[in-house]
Amino acid sequence: MISEEYRGAKQWSRDKQAVFTVVWISFLSAAVGTMVFFALFDPVDLSGIFNEETNIGRDAGYALGFFFFWVLCALCSGVTAFLVRTAPKRDAKHRPQ
Amino acid sequence: MNSPESVGMYASAKKIYPREIGGRFDKLSKLATILLLGLFYSMPWLLWDGRQAFLFDLPARKFYLLGLTLWPQDFPYLALLLIIAALSLFFFTALAGRLWCGFACPQTVWTEAFIWMEQATEGTRSQRMKLDKAPWSLSKFRKKASKQFLWITFSMWTGFTFVGYFTPIRELGLDILALSVGGWTLFWGLFYGFATYGNAGYMREQVCKYMCPYARFQSAMFDKDTLIISYDEKRGEPRGGRKRSVDPKEAGLGDCIDCQLCVQVCPTGIDIREGLQYECIACAACIDACDSIMDKMNYPRGLVRYTTEHSLHNENTRVLRPRMFVYATLLVVLVVGLVTSIAARTPVILDVIRDRNSLYRELPNGIIENIYTIKIINQSNNERAFSLGVSGVNGITLDGVGDEVRVDGGGVLSLPVRARAHRDNAYGVSEIEFSIKAVDDASIVMGEDSRFLGPTR
Repeated sequence: MISEEYRGAKQWSRDKQAVFTVVWISFLSAAVGTMVFFALFDPVDLSGIFNEETNIGRDAGYALGFFFFWVLCALCSGVTAFLVRTAPKRDAKHRPQ
Repeated sequence: MNSPESVGMYASAKKIYPREIGGRFDKLSKLATILLLGLFYSMPWLLWDGRQAFLFDLPARKFYLLGLTLWPQDFPYLALLLIIAALSLFFFTALAGRLWCGFACPQTVWTEAFIWMEQATEGTRSQRMKLDKAPWSLSKFRKKASKQFLWITFSMWTGFTFVGYFTPIRELGLDILALSVGGWTLFWGLFYGFATYGNAGYMREQVCKYMCPYARFQSAMFDKDTLIISYDEKRGEPRGGRKRSVDPKEAGLGDCIDCQLCVQVCPTGIDIREGLQYECIACAACIDACDSIMDKMNYPRGLVRYTTEHSLHNENTRVLRPRMFVYATLLVVLVVGLVTSIAARTPVILDVIRDRNSLYRELPNGIIENIYTIKIINQSNNERAFSLGVSGVNGITLDGVGDEVRVDGGGVLSLPVRARAHRDNAYGVSEIEFSIKAVDDASIVMGEDSRFLGPTR
């Protein structure tokens, strides 16, 4: 790797870090969630629950499940990241009386 | 780069000995890259008994691994495998730091491959820096375009291979040639291909620095006997440039000539001389770089090396410490457990569901009848005949099934059956057991408990 080199470590802005971290971590969590969920439940069995006429195939079921998990996880960690980063800086007891 | 002299030395060293700056760890990481990528791209093409050796057939909910067929019911194996993977990560991290990051992580491995393509089209680091600064010209466009062509082709091939683990890859290849790929297959192929392109082509070490959770908590698995890449401060300081003829002791200098090579080769852009940092992915490029300089200066190698915190402070270091034995023992136990339980797996599953709509039915002559749905899953690859039996109540018999039932290889048979017994033997609730036995192999036996309901006395 020595004759070769990167263009140097570019710094990512705080916002970029947050967005990519949220997307990536929720992607990994969704992958695990999808794996466990669909090992236990067959999408074909589930598709009839809400409406007898919906009959999506397994392929679409897996994809739908994965994106559902991804969006859910991204929402969760996105809101968490937002709240942590925008929280009031000072602790109540240090506040002037 | 404090003195002009050290700048000169670095530059001339690069001109005269460009090939010698490869080094041991560079060879090791190239080997790991070729091996791991080779496995990834070739495994879906292997055949076993005329079908794909590694196929995770999600549409059919079956996994084929060599001669083994796994079902959703085999989920505990997957869970066990994940536990083993996590434990191995603890073991290797405690032993020698971030070996995973430097040599085995897909992020590192694909990044390495993408850098090779970048090198092949745009040249070395300095050539690339010059190219990026230069105004657009025909030759710049040609270089950039050929890099993108290589990257995109490779990414698409990666996406195709990935999908090939889930859809039979040979048929998939023919489908692609005929331009008749299914919607979801195409989507996942492009998705994975694009993710590879972005992660390995552009995001690279940013993924390790900002997005990887392991990078943040791996230090919790370290102790003072963990092998980590460190700069030997006592030997190196005070650093400074000097001529080769100068004796460092007389000049009051340490062994570090401050050539900055270790900083320049670092893929995450840190200075290893500032101590262990979480950005360090343990690629060991700085060891190779420093060793090449030490050789040139006729100093002993290892100013930057794999060492432990204890040994850096001249204390006893023990690589084989209790922690390692605990991890190793757990690993061995789990691996042996996984292998034996897979080997001893009965290739058939029996499931019995009692009909929920009726308690029991009274037939003439005092016979009581209960209804069940029997599910037989034949986990072997060949068709098999089973004989079905029931026990637990005196004189209980099955109605509606022949002497033997046949189930296709890898198939599921759902069979409604009626169990009958005389009321004198079946008052109240009785525990009964259904059992199946393979006709061709008496050792394949499977039982499942259920209940038989009768009138109250």
